[in-house]
Formats: sequence, structure tokens, C-alpha cells
Amino acid sequence: MNTLIILSAVGVLALFSEMLNFKKALGAIILLGLVGAFAADVMAWNTNRHYYNEMMVVDNFSVAFTGLLIVITFLWFIMSPDFFREPSSRIDHFALIIFALIGGQLMTSYNNMLMLFLGIEILSIPMFILAGSNKSDLKSNEAALKYFLMAAFATGFLLFGMALIYGATGSFQIQNITQFIKSQQGNIPVMLVAGILMMLVGLAFKVSAAPFHFWTPDVYTGSPTVITAFMSTVVKTAAFAGFFRLFSMCFESSSATWANTIWALSALTIIIGNVTAVYQTSFKRMLAYSSISHAGYMLMAILALNQYAQGSILFYATAYSISSITAFAVLLLVSHLAGNDSIESFNGLAKKNPLLAFATVLAMLSLAGIPPLAGFFAKYYIFTAALQQHYTGLVIIAVMGSLIGVYYYFRIIIALFKSENDDVVIPVNNTFKVFLVVTSVAALLLGIMPQLVAGIL
Amino acid sequence: MNPSSIPSDYLPIFIQFLVAAGFVVAVMVATHWLGPKRKSKLKLETFECGIEPQGNARIPFSIKYFLVAILFVLFDVEVIFMYPWAVNFKVLGESGLIEMLIFMALLLTGFFYIIKKGALKWE
Repeated sequence: MNTLIILSAVGVLALFSEMLNFKKALGAIILLGLVGAFAADVMAWNTNRHYYNEMMVVDNFSVAFTGLLIVITFLWFIMSPDFFREPSSRIDHFALIIFALIGGQLMTSYNNMLMLFLGIEILSIPMFILAGSNKSDLKSNEAALKYFLMAAFATGFLLFGMALIYGATGSFQIQNITQFIKSQQGNIPVMLVAGILMMLVGLAFKVSAAPFHFWTPDVYTGSPTVITAFMSTVVKTAAFAGFFRLFSMCFESSSATWANTIWALSALTIIIGNVTAVYQTSFKRMLAYSSISHAGYMLMAILALNQYAQGSILFYATAYSISSITAFAVLLLVSHLAGNDSIESFNGLAKKNPLLAFATVLAMLSLAGIPPLAGFFAKYYIFTAALQQHYTGLVIIAVMGSLIGVYYYFRIIIALFKSENDDVVIPVNNTFKVFLVVTSVAALLLGIMPQLVAGIL
Repeated sequence: MNPSSIPSDYLPIFIQFLVAAGFVVAVMVATHWLGPKRKSKLKLETFECGIEPQGNARIPFSIKYFLVAILFVLFDVEVIFMYPWAVNFKVLGESGLIEMLIFMALLLTGFFYIIKKGALKWE
């Protein structure tokens, strides 16, 4: 709860920094505020307290995911300030990011459907604005409009689902709905099933699972790269935390009604995401499709729902976010110099910028799921959790998908080692070097000692 | 709420709906039927407080109107929260007062922000 208050205070401070003339100190204030919020979050470990008439509950699940969201946002702030050079309104962008983080926190700790909805909206509305924050770029405008219209459509489904669930159970409260489902002893009313499936559609849109993924490539490509980095890490993690919380704590005992749907969603997402990523020539667009395919793997944890599922989805989100933010950071530098985000602009990076190339290689290997790195154990845990629930067919599809993944991630690594005639070294400042080293070490460390994160839950 | 309510429980609402809709339709039909009809140029003209209308209503107007209108709606809706609070003032007591003060402080922060951003500047 203190986390929420600290974050809100930082957000409001960020709004006013430009008017009250402490713009220069803002970066430090935000980073300190994030550290404070993280400390407050860790202090809430094992307290399991309920707030605001049972509207919110801070349990270990929410503490772990909130902590992860804050850490990624911290990394994001370290990576981004140099690239917010447009004089127009960068201060407001920082405030919006903090507000989006608050929405993410609500999505991890809601105890009432209304709070889930509020969280999704608080997270999404800043993202619409940020997606269009590059006002002079037509693609950015397109991304904002597309994101807004599609998200509004999906929110409609989500709300309709909630209304149907309220109609069937008479409550928005998670515990009451669970009790109602249990009391029905398998005879679940059709209205409730319809409600669950509609909420599933809305949430599948938010995590960009196929066939509700059509907005993702365009929005990810059109938005400024820093914003895409935020979307594919923090927003995705928060959406999955909300998704997982809803289905594990609320709808678990009715799993017979939605398990097949999630099975199909997961398989379809893995196949479509991976196969389409192969054909991309733009690195950014490829990462967008790769984020779709990773959503497919994470859906497997929601399907499994055993004692391993919580830890595995947390670890997957961590591993994916760290590798993904590294990849976007490198893309930022490379595309800044090359003027586009095609895979060719990575050619010969190994010779020119060994550190950048090293970080990229680790990130790609981790995303592909190659053994000593975090991404391997992330997949390992998720597949194990799914196998224990006897979803062998889905695991086979997922393994095939990751094999396709290896192909397109290695295309980047091969490009890095191609010889290139021009040797323009990309200037990398020290903060950025530290950032790349930290994320690369984290990806390695989590691969060597996965229990550090996976054992928490 | 009793979750096992059956469709017939909603019958009063349905009747209420029918009565409401029926009243509107009946009154509209009755006025058209009863009232005298004299159509002249003056009678068919737009009536705006007795002042003669000028030009077309469908003209492009400044986006500033839109911004001010949106901000008005925002603050209007927020102020509406004060009505239930005022009604329950005694029940909510001291903690209610403090909560409302926090709410008003946040509202004023937003107001300060839009003034400083120049959203209300007309020129």
C-alpha cells in the first residue's frame, strides 16, 4: 500500500517538476522514489493485508510481481532519458510512465473485479498517449489511434464479461465468486461461462495472444522505441500478473469450462508468433512477434495452475523482461545511428562495438532459450508445470515453436558477425554501458541460479 | 443480492419500462393530434430567445472550446462526489472529512496543473 502512495507522490511530483523548476533533479527524484517504492514493497512481504474494504490485497504474489515491475521500470528509466530529447513534453512522459506503473501495481494486487478494471485503464490510458508521443511521426500517430480503438474494443468485452459474472454470482469480489463457483459443484451456469470467456477475450487482447494479437506489430513498430520497450516488458508483465491472478484465484475451480480455450489460444499464439517472426526484416517488428510468441508460452502457466505455475510465470516474466529490455536498448542505439530498425543495421556490430554485440548475443540467446541463460530455465519451468498437468501435446507444440525461435534469434547473431565496410563506432555513454553490463549479468545469473527468483513464490 | 433470482423477478421493471415508454409515445401522438398547425416562414424559423438567428450552426469552431468543455466535464463529475459525502457527512465523520480533503487536494493539484500548462489560456 505504501508502494502505491509513494509511486503516486512521485508521479505528481514529476508532473510539477517543469513548472516548479526542479526539472534537473527529476531523474534523481524518480529513481529514489522507485527505490523507496521497492523497499516499501519488500516490507509488505508475508504481511498479507487487505485494504479499502477488501478492494485490494497485498499478498506474496502481488509483492513479487510489483517488485518485478518496479525493477524493470527502474532499468527503463536508466536506459531512456538520453532519448527523450524532443523538447515538447518529456517531463509529462515520465509522469505518465509512473502512472502506468501504478496501474500495473493495481493489476497485481486487486481483490475485486472493479480494481482489475481500474488497473487496466490506469495502465492503458498513459500508454495510448505515449504510443503517439512522437507527434511528427505518422506511424506513431497511427500506433496511438490503433492501440486506442482496439483496446477500447477489448475493454468492452472485458466489461461485458464482468457484468455477466456479476449477474451470475451477484458479486465483484474474488472470494465471493470463488465460493459461488465451488458451491455449484460442477453445474456452472451458462451466464458465468459466457462471462469468463468474455473476460478471457479481453485479457487475451491485453497480453496480445493470437488471434487477438493484430494490434501488436503495428503498435510496437509505430511507437517510439523506448515506449515499445516499456510496453513489451512492464505492460506485458502486469497484464500477465492480472490474468494469472484472476484465473488462479477466482476461476480455478471452473477450469473445465475454459482450459480448452486457453490451450488453443496458447498453441495458436506460439505457432503464429514464431512463424511470422521468421519473415520480418525489421528488428523491432521481429521483437513484436517474438513478444507475441512469449505470451503463448506464459499462457501455459495459466493453463497448468499447479504449485509450480506461480513461480514459473514470475521467473518467465523476469527472464523475458530483462532480455527484452536489453534488446530494445541496443536497438535504440543502433537505430538512432542507422536511421532505421532493419536487421541489416546490426551488421558488423561485433567488430565495431563489442559490448553492444555481447549484450545482444546474450539477450537473443536468452530469448531463444539456450541453456546457460535465464530464458532456458524460464521455458524449462513452464514446460515442467504444463507437463505435470499432462498437457504433452501443447508442450510439443511449444518446443517446436522455440526451435523456430532459435532460427530467427540467430539471424540477429549472424548479422552481428557479418563483415561490414564502414566502421562507424556507435558512441555509448557510461550509464548505458553499466546498464548493458547489469542486464547481461542478470540474464546470466538468473540462468545459473534460477531459484533466486523462481523459488520466491 | 440473491444470486438465484429468476426472470419473473424483473417483471415490475419491465412494466415500469412499458409505462414510461407508453407515456412518452402517448403524449407525443396526442400533441401532434390536438394542436393547431399553422405553417409560415416565421413559425418554422429557429427560436433562440427572441434574437434573430445568424448563419449556419454547422461551422468549424476552435479546438479550445473542446478542451475547455472536456475539462469542465472532468471537474463537474469530480464535484458530484461531494453530494453523497455531504448527505452522509455525520455518518462518515472525521475520517470522511480527511478523505474528502485529500480528494479535494488532488483535485486542486490537477487544477493547478492545467492552469500552469496554459490549457485555459484563450489567446
